[in-house]
Amino acid sequence: MKSLDPRVNRLPETPKDIVPKAPLDQFGTFEVFVQPKEGKPFQHEGIVHAPELEMAYVLAKEAFTRRFTCTSLYVVDTRSVFVSPLAEGTTNAYDLLEQKQEQHSISEDTFEIYHLLKRGKQHVHIGTVKASTPDAAMQQAKTMFNTSTPVMNIWAIRTKDIRFTEESEKDLWGTLPEKKFRDAASYKGGDKLKTFLERNSQAL
Amino acid sequence: MYGGGNTFEGIKTDSLAQEDPIKLAEFEARIARGEKIEPADWMPALYRKQLIRMIEQHAHSEIIGALPEGTWITRAPGFKRKLALMAKVQDEVGHAQLLYSAAETLGKTREEMIHDLITGKSKYSNIFNYPAFTWADACFISWLVDAGAIVNQLANAKGSYGPYCRALDRICAEESFHLKYGHHCVIFLATGTQKQRDMFQEAINRWWAPMMHFFGPADKISAHTQVLMNWKVKMATNDDTRNQFLDMYVPKIWELGFTIPDPALKKNTDTGRWDYTEPDWEEFKRVINGGGPCNEERLAVRRIAEERGKWVREALRSPKASYVMPLA
Repeated sequence: MKSLDPRVNRLPETPKDIVPKAPLDQFGTFEVFVQPKEGKPFQHEGIVHAPELEMAYVLAKEAFTRRFTCTSLYVVDTRSVFVSPLAEGTTNAYDLLEQKQEQHSISEDTFEIYHLLKRGKQHVHIGTVKASTPDAAMQQAKTMFNTSTPVMNIWAIRTKDIRFTEESEKDLWGTLPEKKFRDAASYKGGDKLKTFLERNSQAL
Repeated sequence: MYGGGNTFEGIKTDSLAQEDPIKLAEFEARIARGEKIEPADWMPALYRKQLIRMIEQHAHSEIIGALPEGTWITRAPGFKRKLALMAKVQDEVGHAQLLYSAAETLGKTREEMIHDLITGKSKYSNIFNYPAFTWADACFISWLVDAGAIVNQLANAKGSYGPYCRALDRICAEESFHLKYGHHCVIFLATGTQKQRDMFQEAINRWWAPMMHFFGPADKISAHTQVLMNWKVKMATNDDTRNQFLDMYVPKIWELGFTIPDPALKKNTDTGRWDYTEPDWEEFKRVINGGGPCNEERLAVRRIAEERGKWVREALRSPKASYVMPLA
């Protein structure tokens, strides 16, 4: 193999036998939530594959916040997200929740609650509740956040499972405004093109 | 960026007969209402299969597409161009991550997708099997190959599968930088010295045929294609996207005083569509099936990257492991 790229020419022999990848070779998934603007609620943005929570946070920063469309983000293991049934049409997902036997427990956790208001859109953070189980948290959310607008789907996540951005980490995004080279608006060729076209038309 | 021209052959049309007619009717009604399909919804096996194939090919195209341009980072003219090209290549790889995630929601694991890429089972956009000889080639890719990709991606972003559409919305937003950057580079070459102009003209001459191939051969409008269009999997025919690209970019290329190596290329005033010499589809097939100038190199680079990354993945998997001094 002869490449135009000298680095490719220096590569070692290509491995001949390719064994299928073992399960989880690419790690498990973590859900990523970003805050588009200061004061706006966090919304679900996508996933990253990572070996653990802290690496997921680092990878999420690279994957989702390369441009100035984010002021903060957090990540959580996909397995820690509790999901309600998906509602149809004008049905409200809160009405689809099963009434579970109230479990009296001394220890209560806080849960973050997310609403999906329209199919095809993203889950958006709506508030925090205190409850002993995810089911109880959704019931609690029903009394607190259920309005006349039907909710398509509800997520509940234990606050303690989330890897938040700490205040001191916010300067991670501090240099974004300087990175103008990532921005379409900094590639203005119009004037150069105009002069060129004018000169050409005069030459004719 | 993304190679379009998905061909949907090789999957039996009659597989629909095995689907539950009531669920199928509900599914089709949902799409007809303009609602998105989400991963937890019921969907026909054919829909799932076609989407996996399409999104996966798109993801592979982003990863492989970063290679010909990546080669030019160290040789890009000046610090600003290096920064921009690095950012663009990083975006492309990022897009692949978003797309693999979308494909995963349909039930194919990331491990399987990567395996299928490096063993040559899955395809990617054919255009990346050609080499970028000069800086002008890199500029052609940044401007025109990305432009072609945007035509496809904007169409697909109106499709029916929620996770794919969301990924595409993010991707299209970033592609606008690629397009502006690419055009900027080309304007600089076009308004530069004669040598620079010649360099870009040669790039057009080299890349025009692969660019026409990019949108894929004319679709055989079969019942099968019609089903996929009704399901909003395929959003436009290959000829339509090719025509749209020509409409938008041929005038821009001509404006800069360059020529396009196809004497038959002109807009037909009667039909409102472009006439052109039929691309060589035998060449297209030959390259797709491994016969292109760079197929071997592109896959080799990915294989070695997987191989070399293995120890990193292993190390990350056991973060608590630490060095212990031997006992004796």
